[in-house]
Amino acid sequence: MEQPAQKQAGTGLPGPYAVGRYAGKLQEWMRERARVQLIGEVTGVGRSKVQAYFELRDGDGAIPCAIWLNDLEKAGLGDGALRDGAEVVISGGLDYYPGGGQASPNFCFRATHVRLAGEGDLIARLEALRKQLRSEGLFELQKQLHRPRLPKTIGVVTAETGAARRDLLAGLQRRGWGGSVIWGFAPVQDRHAAPAIGRAVQDLAARPEVEAIVVTRGGGSLADLWAFCDETLCRTVAMLRVPVVSAVGHERDKTLIDDVAAVACSTPTHAAEAAVPLDCVAARESLERCAVALRRAGEGAIGTRSRHLGALARGPARALQRERSKLNQKIREIRAASERGLAERAASQKRIGTVVLERARNRAVGADMEKRRAALHRAAVALRAHEPERTLERGYALVEGEAGEPVTSAEAAAAAGEVKLRFADGRVRAKINEAGEGDVERDR
Amino acid sequence: MTDSPESYEAAVERLEEIIDRLDSGQSGLRETLDLCREGRELVKFCAAELDEVGEGLKELRLDDLAARLEVGSEQS
Repeated sequence: MEQPAQKQAGTGLPGPYAVGRYAGKLQEWMRERARVQLIGEVTGVGRSKVQAYFELRDGDGAIPCAIWLNDLEKAGLGDGALRDGAEVVISGGLDYYPGGGQASPNFCFRATHVRLAGEGDLIARLEALRKQLRSEGLFELQKQLHRPRLPKTIGVVTAETGAARRDLLAGLQRRGWGGSVIWGFAPVQDRHAAPAIGRAVQDLAARPEVEAIVVTRGGGSLADLWAFCDETLCRTVAMLRVPVVSAVGHERDKTLIDDVAAVACSTPTHAAEAAVPLDCVAARESLERCAVALRRAGEGAIGTRSRHLGALARGPARALQRERSKLNQKIREIRAASERGLAERAASQKRIGTVVLERARNRAVGADMEKRRAALHRAAVALRAHEPERTLERGYALVEGEAGEPVTSAEAAAAAGEVKLRFADGRVRAKINEAGEGDVERDR
Repeated sequence: MTDSPESYEAAVERLEEIIDRLDSGQSGLRETLDLCREGRELVKFCAAELDEVGEGLKELRLDDLAARLEVGSEQS
C-alpha cells in the first residue's frame, strides 16, 4: 500500500486512505491467506440465487461461511444435507467482498468444498478435548467419590422411550433391588441434547436423597452419541458430588462422559450393577449365614465353656482322690520305712549296747582286777608281814612237833621231849630238859 | 456397640471382622458374647437396610418432583 503524502498531525497513524481502495487491498490480502479445512456445526443456513451461506460454529467460536451453489452441487451432499446442526468439514479460505456504491461489504470463509464430518473427524476433536480435560484432572474427581453399595434412591438420565430404560430396570430388579428411581428424562440424540442432559444431571444431583446417577442410552454412531462428548456436560458431570455411572452406546470409553464419570459401563444392565453394587438377593443369603454363624458362636462359646467348667468342677474331687491315694501310699511307705528304721535302729542299738556293755564290762572287770590285785597285793603284803618267816628273819624261832605242828607251850614242849626249832634259815632238833634246860641237837 | 453403623458397607465390614474374629477361636468368653451381641445388632441393621429396598421398585419423575416442590413453595 502506498504511503500517503503527509501524516495528520497529532494522530501518528498513516492515512487517511481511500476506503474503497483499502477494501480492495484487504480483499487481496485475505485471499492470499492459506487455504484450510474447518470442522464445526452448521447454523443459520440461508441461500441466495448464487450461493448458500451459514455459520460454522463450535463451543469456542464461529465464522460466517459461504459456498457458491455450483460448488455445493459438486460436493454431492444431497438435498438438505447442509442444514442446521449438521457437523461438516469445509475447505476454502478467507474472502472479503469490498461492496460498492450501493452494496454492503461482507467478510466470509469462502468454502469451495463441503462434506459431512466423519467418525475420524469427530474422534480427532474428541481426542483433543479428552486431552484437555485429562490435563485439568477432571477424569479423577468422580472416581474419588464414595459409591454406596446399597443406595436407596438413584437418579437416571435417559430417553423416556427407549430400550435403555427397560434394560436398566430389568438389571435393577435382577439384583433384587426395590429402591426408588427418579427419572430425569432428556433427549439423548446428537449434540443438541447435551444441555438438557446436563440440566437433568444437575437437578438430580441437587436432590439429597439421590445417592448415584446413571446416564444411559443405547448404541449409535459417534455422531449420535455426540451429546455425551459435549465439553460443558462433561465438565458439569466431573464436578458433581454425586457419583455418575455412564452407560452410553455399547463401547466403554468411547464418549467423553465415560472418562469423567465415576464408572463407565457398556450397557444399561451393567450400569444397574454399578449403580447398585450390592446383589440384594445374595446379600440376604449372606446375612442369614452371618446370623447363623453368630448364633452358633454364642451357643458354642457357652456350651464349650460349660463342659469345660463341668470338667473343672469334677477336677478337684478327682484331684483330691488322687492326692489321697498318693498320701496313703506315702503313709504306707513311711510306715514301712519307719518299721525298717526302728528295726535297724534297734539292731543298731543292740549292737551298740552290746559293744558298750562289752566295753563297760571290760572296763569293770579291769577295774575289779586292779582292785583285787591291789587288795591281793595288800593282803600279800599283810600276809607276808604275818608270815613266820618274817618273824623268824627277825631272830625268832618256831617250835614244831615231830609232824611239824607248832608247839605253842612249854608244857607241850616238855611233853614232846624233843622238838624242832625252826629258824629262818632252817630247822634244828632240840631236846627238852625238864629243868628247862636241855640239849639241842641240830637236825640238818 | 451403642451407635448405629454409618452405612450398610460399614456394618457389613464390621460384621465380617466379627465373624473372622469368632472363627479364629482366639476370643475369650466375654469378648465372644460381646461380639455376638454386636454382630446381632449389625445383622438387624443390615436386614433393615435391605428391607428398605425390598418392597418393590418405585419410579418417580424428576419433573413431577420439581412441580411438587414449586406448588409447595407457592402454598407456603
